[in-house]
Amino acid sequence: MKLKTVIKLGSVALASTFILAACGSSNSSGKKTANIRESAELATMDQSKVTDVVGFTQLGNTEEGLYRIGKNNKIENAIATNTKVSDGGKTYTFTLRKGVKWSNGDEVTAKDFVYGWQRTVNPKTASQYAYIYSGIKNADKIASGKADYKTLGIKADGKYKLTVNLERPISYFKLLMGFPVFFPQNENAVNKYGSKYGTSASTTVYNGPYRMKGWTGSNLSWELVKNNTYWDKKNVKMDSLNWKVVKDAGTALNMYNSKKLDQTVLSSEQVKQYKSNKDYKKFLNASTFYIEFNQKKDKYFKNAKIREALSLAINRDQFVNKVLGDGSVAATGLTSAGLAKDAKTGKDFAKQVDVKSASEYNLKKAKTLMAEGLKEEGLKSIDFQLMSDDTTGAKQTTEFLQSAWEKIPNVKVSLSNIPFKNRLANSTAGKFDTVVTAWGADFSDPISFLQLFTSDNSQNNGKWSSKEYDNLINAANTTDASNTEKRWDDMVKAEQILLKDQGIAPLYQQGQSMLRRSNIKGIVYNSAGLNFDYKQMDVK
Amino acid sequence: MARYLAKRVFYLLLTLFLIASITFFLMKLMPGTPLNNQAKLTKSQIQIIYEQYGLNKPVWQQYIDYMINAAHGNFGTSFQFSNQEVSYLIGSRIGPSATIGIQGMVLGVVLGIVTGSISAIRKNTWVDGTANIISILGLSVPSFVLAIVLQYYIGLKLQWLPVAGWGGFASTVLPSIALAASPFATTSRFVRTEMVDVLGSDYIELAKAKGMSRMGIVYHHALRNSLIPLVTVVGPLAVAIMTGSMVVENIFSIPGIGEQFVKSILTNDYPTIMGVTMLYSGLLVLVLLLTDIIYGIIDPRIRITGKGA
Amino acid sequence: MEEKVKIPKDAFQPVSKEDRLDDEKITAPSRTFLQDAWRRLKENKAAFISMWILIIVAIFAFTSPITAPNPNNSNPDYANLPAKIPGVSINGFNGTIVQGGERVDAYKANNVPAGKYFYFGTDYLGRSLGQRILHGTMISLLIGVFATLIDLLIGVGYGIFSAWKGGKVDIFMQRIIEIMSSVPNIVIMVLLLLVFKNGGILPIVLAIAINEWTTMARLTRAQTLQLKNQEYILAAQSLGESPWKISIKHLLPNLSSVIIIQTMFTIPTAIFFEAFLSYIGIGIQAPTASLGTLINDGQRNFQFLPFQMWYPAIVLAIIMIAFNVLADGLRDAFDPRTARR
Repeated sequence: MKLKTVIKLGSVALASTFILAACGSSNSSGKKTANIRESAELATMDQSKVTDVVGFTQLGNTEEGLYRIGKNNKIENAIATNTKVSDGGKTYTFTLRKGVKWSNGDEVTAKDFVYGWQRTVNPKTASQYAYIYSGIKNADKIASGKADYKTLGIKADGKYKLTVNLERPISYFKLLMGFPVFFPQNENAVNKYGSKYGTSASTTVYNGPYRMKGWTGSNLSWELVKNNTYWDKKNVKMDSLNWKVVKDAGTALNMYNSKKLDQTVLSSEQVKQYKSNKDYKKFLNASTFYIEFNQKKDKYFKNAKIREALSLAINRDQFVNKVLGDGSVAATGLTSAGLAKDAKTGKDFAKQVDVKSASEYNLKKAKTLMAEGLKEEGLKSIDFQLMSDDTTGAKQTTEFLQSAWEKIPNVKVSLSNIPFKNRLANSTAGKFDTVVTAWGADFSDPISFLQLFTSDNSQNNGKWSSKEYDNLINAANTTDASNTEKRWDDMVKAEQILLKDQGIAPLYQQGQSMLRRSNIKGIVYNSAGLNFDYKQMDVK
Repeated sequence: MARYLAKRVFYLLLTLFLIASITFFLMKLMPGTPLNNQAKLTKSQIQIIYEQYGLNKPVWQQYIDYMINAAHGNFGTSFQFSNQEVSYLIGSRIGPSATIGIQGMVLGVVLGIVTGSISAIRKNTWVDGTANIISILGLSVPSFVLAIVLQYYIGLKLQWLPVAGWGGFASTVLPSIALAASPFATTSRFVRTEMVDVLGSDYIELAKAKGMSRMGIVYHHALRNSLIPLVTVVGPLAVAIMTGSMVVENIFSIPGIGEQFVKSILTNDYPTIMGVTMLYSGLLVLVLLLTDIIYGIIDPRIRITGKGA
Repeated sequence: MEEKVKIPKDAFQPVSKEDRLDDEKITAPSRTFLQDAWRRLKENKAAFISMWILIIVAIFAFTSPITAPNPNNSNPDYANLPAKIPGVSINGFNGTIVQGGERVDAYKANNVPAGKYFYFGTDYLGRSLGQRILHGTMISLLIGVFATLIDLLIGVGYGIFSAWKGGKVDIFMQRIIEIMSSVPNIVIMVLLLLVFKNGGILPIVLAIAINEWTTMARLTRAQTLQLKNQEYILAAQSLGESPWKISIKHLLPNLSSVIIIQTMFTIPTAIFFEAFLSYIGIGIQAPTASLGTLINDGQRNFQFLPFQMWYPAIVLAIIMIAFNVLADGLRDAFDPRTARR
C-alpha cells in the first residue's frame, strides 16, 4: 500500500465524520424543553412487562389510567370521571371520560382496561408485576393456573362503564389505579405489533400527556413530546422533554454544569459538595434498608439480646451523614417515613410506631447485651458473615457495619458482596447469616412493608416469627380491612412488635438527591408508585 | 492461495465454534436468571418465564439450540430488554462504536506513524526523547483516566467540545482521542524501531550514496518498508480499541457496543454478553485473517503457499 | 553499515618486539553474556534510573504491612480530607479545600485534632489515602508478578516443548496458540472473572495470565528452534544428556534474555489490566486496595477532590513508565543490534 493511499483512506474517514456532523440536530428556540438524566436504559414500554423505575416513569408520563396520583398521594380523576364504591368496598364502578384518544386514533374505552388487565394476569404473558393484582377477584387463582385469565374480576358495561370486583376490600385500591401496571392497553396495537409491542417508540401507542419519540429499544436518548390529542392538553406546559441516559455520575454532573442537562441525580460524594446549591433537591424514597438475622441457620440469632446488641452498635446517623451522604436518612422502623398518614390525626405512620430502642446507638449497652446474650447461649464468641450487593453503596454499607460490629468484643464479621440476583437467590434459600435487604413499597400503604414478616411470607428470609404479629396482619387484611381506623391500629401494633423484638435491624431509608434547575416547577413527587409525574411541569 | 484461504477459513470457523462453546458453558456456570423481580413471583410464574427463555430444558439441549441459533446469527432474547432480539440490540449499536473506533484508530495510527518516523530520523535528539516520553505515557495512562481528564478539562472547563453524549462530529472528538492513545503509542514505538532498522540497511546507504535527498529517502524507501510490518500489529490494535471502547463509551455516554457489554455484565444479561462476545471474536478473527492476506500481498518477501502455516 | 570514522594520525604506532608475545592475550576482562548486558544497561541512564525507581517503589510497597498497617481502618468522621503535611502551606498540601467557591480548612471543619496529618489525604470512608496507596501498590505489583510467573511457567514450558518435539506435535501446538491468540482475550477474561468473582486475587491473576502466555510461548519457541540446531546442543545430545537436562542446563540460560525482556513487558500489562478490570467493576473486591480500585474510587470524586484520583494514577503511571523504559533498556542491552547507538 502506498502512503498516498493511506492518506486518501484517512481523509475519507475524516470526511465521513464531517458528514455525520452535519446530521446533528439543532433545537429551535421559543419552545419549552428540558433535558433530564436517566441513569439506566429504558427496558420496555409494555405495561405488562415493565419492572423498573425507568419504565414506570416513562409509562406514567406517556400513558394514563383511571387516576393520576397528585401531590401527597391525592387521587385525581384521569380517565375515570366518577367512582362508586359498593358491596363493603368490594366493588368499584368507574364512569369513564368520553373522547379520550389513543395516539393511533382509537378511542380509550372500558374494553381497553379489561384487555390490559387480562393480558397482564395471563400467565402466558409472564408479567413480573402480576402479583400486584392479588386481591382482585380470581387474580391469585389465575396466577397459580387454577382459573382462566378471562375470569378476572373486571367487566366492561358498554364503552364508558367499568366494574371491578375484589375478593376482599383493599384500602389502597385507588392508589393502585395510578400505577402503570393497571393502565389500559390498546388491543389493536398489541395485536398489530405482536412481540414488537412496547419495544420502540413507534411500536407503542400513547394516551397520556406526552408521546415518546426517538426511542429505538436500547438507545441512550429519547424525547417525550406534548401529546396533542391528550384530553387535558391545556395543562401540559412543556413542548418536549429530552431524556438522556448517562450512567457515569461524574459525566452527568459535568453535563449539568455545562448546561447539557437540567436535572440529574447525584451520587453521594457529589451531594456533599452540592448540599447548599440552590438547585439541590432531596427526595425520600419509600424504600427501607434493613438487616435480617437468619434465625434458622444460626441458633444464636434466636436470642433477642444478641440481635439488639448488634442493632445498638450501629451509629445510623454517622452512617447516613458521613458514609452514604446521598440524602438517605436513618430508618426508625420498617415502614418508610412519609409513606402514609393516619386518616384521623394526620400523623405519619413511621412516627406513630415510635420504637426508639430499635434504631438507637449505644455501644456500651450493646457490649453488655452481647455479653449477656453470649452467656445465655453458652458461646464464647460469634463469627458470622454479612451479605449484601456488590454495588458501591452496598460495599460501603457492609464495610461500615463490619467495623461497627467488630467494636463489640467477641464478634467477628466477614463480608460477602455479590450481585443483586445472587443475593436474592441466597436470601430466599436461607444461605446467609445476616443480610442487608432493601424493600421498596409499590403503593403508599404500610401493609406493603408489613406483610413481609408474617411467618409464612417467602420474603421473611430470617424466619423471625410471632403469632401475635401474624394475627394482627391477618386482621388488617381481612376482618378489619374496611375499618380504616382499626386496620391502622393493627398495623401500628404489628410493627411495634417487630421492632421491640428486633426481628430486623432497620438501617436507613433511601434518599435521592438531585440537581434541578430552579426555574423548573410543577413536577409531582410521591415516594411510592410512580415517583415523578412530569405532566404539569413548567419552565418559568 | 485458494488452498491456504480455505484452510484459514476452516480455522476461523473452528475458533469461533470453540469460543461460542466456551462462552456458553461459562455462562451456565454463572448464577442469575432473567428475572428482575424474582422476590415477588410465584413458582409457577417463574416456571413460565423460564420456559419462555428455554431455560427449563437440559443443558445439552440448550447448548445445541444455542449453537444452531448462533450459526444463524440469532443469539436469543435479551434478559434486560424485554422482547428485544440480541442481534437487533447489538446491530443498533454498531454505528457509534464503529465511528469512534475507526476515528480513534486512524488518528492513533497516523499520529503514531508521523511521530515514530520523526523519532527515527532524529534519533537520539531531544525530539526523539520527547516523542518517546509521549508514547510511553500513552501506554502508561489508563484510558479511563485519560477520558475523565479530557472530559473535565476540555469539555467542562474550556467548553471546547461537548462533555458527553452522542450527536454530531463534535461529540466524537474527545472519545476518539481517548481511544487513540493506545494505538498511537504502539504504532509510534513500532514504527520507530522498524525505521531505525531500515535506515541502517544497505539499500538506504546506496540511496544516500546515489545522492538522493533525505526526504526522498525517507518517503520513497524508509517509510514504505517500515510501514509494511505495521500490518502485523493491526490485530493487537483492534483489541486495544475494543478494550478501550468499554470504558470510553461508558464515560462519554455513547450508545455503543462496549457500553452495552459492560451494562450486560452488570445486569447478568447473558444472551447479550454472548452476542457481544461472538461479535468481538468474529471481528478479531476476521481482522487477523485480513491482515495476514494483506501482508502476504504487499510484502514480496513472504509468499503464501499451501504448505505450512 | 559502518559510519565513517576519522582516524587521527597518531592512532597507529609501530609495534615493538616485546609486545609480540602477548599477541593472543585478550586485554579486556572476560565477561559472561549477562555481565556484558549489565554493563550495557548501566550505560543506558534512563533504564538504569527506571530500575532504581522500581526498586524503591517495590521497597516502599512491600514494607507497607509494617509502615502502613491500617489501610482499611475507616473513620467516617475524617472522610475526604485533603492532603496536609506539617509545615507546608501550599494550597493542596495544607489541609484546605475549595468548597462552594470558598477555600476552607477541611481539617477544622471536620474537627480533626490538631496533631493529626494525612500526607495524602483520606478517602470517602476516612481511610488514609497514603496507606492505601502503599498497600495498593503492593497488591498491584503482586498481581503483576504472579500473573507473569504463571505466564512464564506455562509459556516457556509450552514453547520449549513445542520447539523441541518439532514435527506434528509442534504443528498441533502452534495451531492451539493460533486459535488462542485470535480469541479476544479481554472478553474471555471478563467472563472468567464473572464466574469466579469472589475468589480474591487468584482469579484475577489467572485471568490475566491466560491472556498473556501465548506471546511468551511464541517467543520461546522461536528462540528454541534457533538454539536447537546449535552445535553444543548437538554435542550434549550425542553425549546422552536427557532432553530435560538439556533444556534446564543449556536452553534456559540462553533463553534468559528473551524471557527477561518479555517479563518486563508483561508485568506492567498485567498491572494495567487489573486497573481496567477495577474500572469495569470486576477487579479486586473491597476493602482490599489496588492501584486500579484506588483510581476508580478516586475518579468518582474527580470534580471536587481530584487528588483522590491523581495520586494513585501518578503512582501507576510512574510504575508503568519505569517498567517500559527498563524493558526497552534491557532489550537493547541483551540485543545490541537494536540498541539506540
